Amino acid sequence: MGSSDCQHSGSESSPFLSDKSAKVFVAGHRGLVGSAIVRKLQSLGFANLLLRTHSELDLTRQADVESFFAAEKPDFVILAAAKVGGIHANNTYPADFIAINLQIQTNVIDSAYKHGVKKLLFLGSSCIYPKLAPQPIPEDALLTGPLEPTNEWYAVAKIAGIKMCQGYRIQYSWDAISGMPTNLYGPNDNFHPENSHVLPALMRRFHEAKVNGDKEVVVWGTGSPLREFLHVDDLADAVVFMMEEYSGLEHLNVGSGKEVTIKELAELVKEVVGFEGELVWDSSKPDGTPRKLMDSSKLLGMGWKPKVSLREGLVDTYKWYTANAITKQ
Amino acid sequence: MGSSDCQRSRSERSPFLSDKSAKVFVAGHRGLVGSAIVRKLQSLGFANLLLRTHSELDLTRQADVESFFAAEKPDFVILAAAKVGGIHANNTYPADFIAINLQIQTNVIDSAYKHGVKKLLFLGSSCIYPKLAPQPIPEEALLTGSLEPTNEWYAVAKIAGIKMCQGYRIQYSWDAISGMPTNLYGPNDNFHPENSHVLPALMRRFHEAKVNGAKEVVVWGTGSPLREFLHVDDLADAVVFMMEEYSGLEHLNVGSGKEVSIKELAELVKEVVGFEGELVWDSSKPDGTPRKLMDSSKLLGMGWKPKVSLRDGLVDTYKWYTANAVTKQ
Repeated sequence: MGSSDCQHSGSESSPFLSDKSAKVFVAGHRGLVGSAIVRKLQSLGFANLLLRTHSELDLTRQADVESFFAAEKPDFVILAAAKVGGIHANNTYPADFIAINLQIQTNVIDSAYKHGVKKLLFLGSSCIYPKLAPQPIPEDALLTGPLEPTNEWYAVAKIAGIKMCQGYRIQYSWDAISGMPTNLYGPNDNFHPENSHVLPALMRRFHEAKVNGDKEVVVWGTGSPLREFLHVDDLADAVVFMMEEYSGLEHLNVGSGKEVTIKELAELVKEVVGFEGELVWDSSKPDGTPRKLMDSSKLLGMGWKPKVSLREGLVDTYKWYTANAITKQ
Repeated sequence: MGSSDCQRSRSERSPFLSDKSAKVFVAGHRGLVGSAIVRKLQSLGFANLLLRTHSELDLTRQADVESFFAAEKPDFVILAAAKVGGIHANNTYPADFIAINLQIQTNVIDSAYKHGVKKLLFLGSSCIYPKLAPQPIPEEALLTGSLEPTNEWYAVAKIAGIKMCQGYRIQYSWDAISGMPTNLYGPNDNFHPENSHVLPALMRRFHEAKVNGAKEVVVWGTGSPLREFLHVDDLADAVVFMMEEYSGLEHLNVGSGKEVSIKELAELVKEVVGFEGELVWDSSKPDGTPRKLMDSSKLLGMGWKPKVSLRDGLVDTYKWYTANAVTKQ
């Protein structure tokens, strides 16, 4: 029992899908990622989901987390709770971004192990990787170079979480795994005008331009940078796949492996939203990183495949946006 | 108020040495480092040291640490408490090495900030640096390459501690600093036959050979690798210097800047111990890393200087060893 990277067959690992009455604690169930995981588990027939809002259970409080695990004794834990935010938030509140995430992770992972949880999946993000990682970014790029300064606080916390899971697996032969998703989008995303990511930002801008009857939408840069996107329902599907199929030491990248240019993305969003004005590129403004793509060949090689095309995903997301997010302007 | 690396003048900072009645919490006061810091502070006239053994205060318990800080309200904190060990321990108990250190650090740093501590110094070690860092190792080498696998658990925790201090300084303008010492030696070191570092291991072996009348001591390798050593009393002196003089964002290396070959070290230890047999080199056995030296020019450039020569330090250590450690064989 040691640091094996190999994939166990379904019968050897804790069978996740075999008992839908199993108690599954989804930490962070109201966020973009957690809510998609809840939707997925419910669609599969899991009826015993353990869900707690932040005011019901503050995961940064060690004793509260311990009492919770002692009382509830979940069978499985999916750790999707985190302090997240954009560049400005990370730069302004670095203490929060590192301390809160370290506390959540340390409390949940330690309590889960100590209270007999059969398997835990820890979720992070692609920003754990070095700023200048090779593209596509393989799992072994971790800790091989300097981080992107604007999110190093969050990244260091997430790296520590991966190492916590690995340490507990090695020392205790406990089934803890980590998944690192690429750029996610979908229902429950953040569409805030100032700190949302590129995809929801474009969606919001085209929507507002359509509603306001604007003649054009101006987007910064040339549109040439390449990006990868994964619909959050695909991420939830990958989570279930990993819970069922993967019990290895190394963290796994979760991406589609498909890239689009920002230009292709913007044109697709414009079309899905139905904005009929002009899309103008202000090439005097900077482009971001030329390329950002995760190497998900390990997970894809195990047989998992994303199902949601970018077009379908944008249609789904826009439907959610118009029904749920617009009044919050 | 932000991420300034500059050294402020005495009147701007919390004056550490100006009030010897200040309450100073030395976490980890019984270890190699903590005990030296206590000796130093006592010699300077600090009479209000706050000291708690592990059984009196378990620093991994968040609520206990918070109550302690609320009740005691120390003015200053020197965080020298950690879960430490050699290669074998790190490999066997990786969960302990990462989790316990993360818990201690997160609890103490967060409680210290929240309970009005004026300044905190966090101590780590040179193993935070990449395995293949340039020699001498400058502070900027942090997170620029892969860690030494045998102590990555401890190293990731310590890196997170540095980032915690930086995050709290940036977000709260709170005076938290980090010091990363080179190889330390001195009273209270670990002389265990199986997991001690090279200097105490050599001292123990020459002593036992002397006592047993052995004809020779065989040391592995060629003796050519270069190493840096700092007597722990010098480290304590540097701690006081940093508490008084340094309020910057970046962590500081604490080393002597002086290297010796393992051969020079062994010959000196042999002489200090008074072993009169032969020192034999088994060059069929491997040497370790060719060179390991920290770049301490930043700290040395501020005016701090180590005072204890290697010879004097070995004499002092051997005196302590024969008086305190020999009966524990």
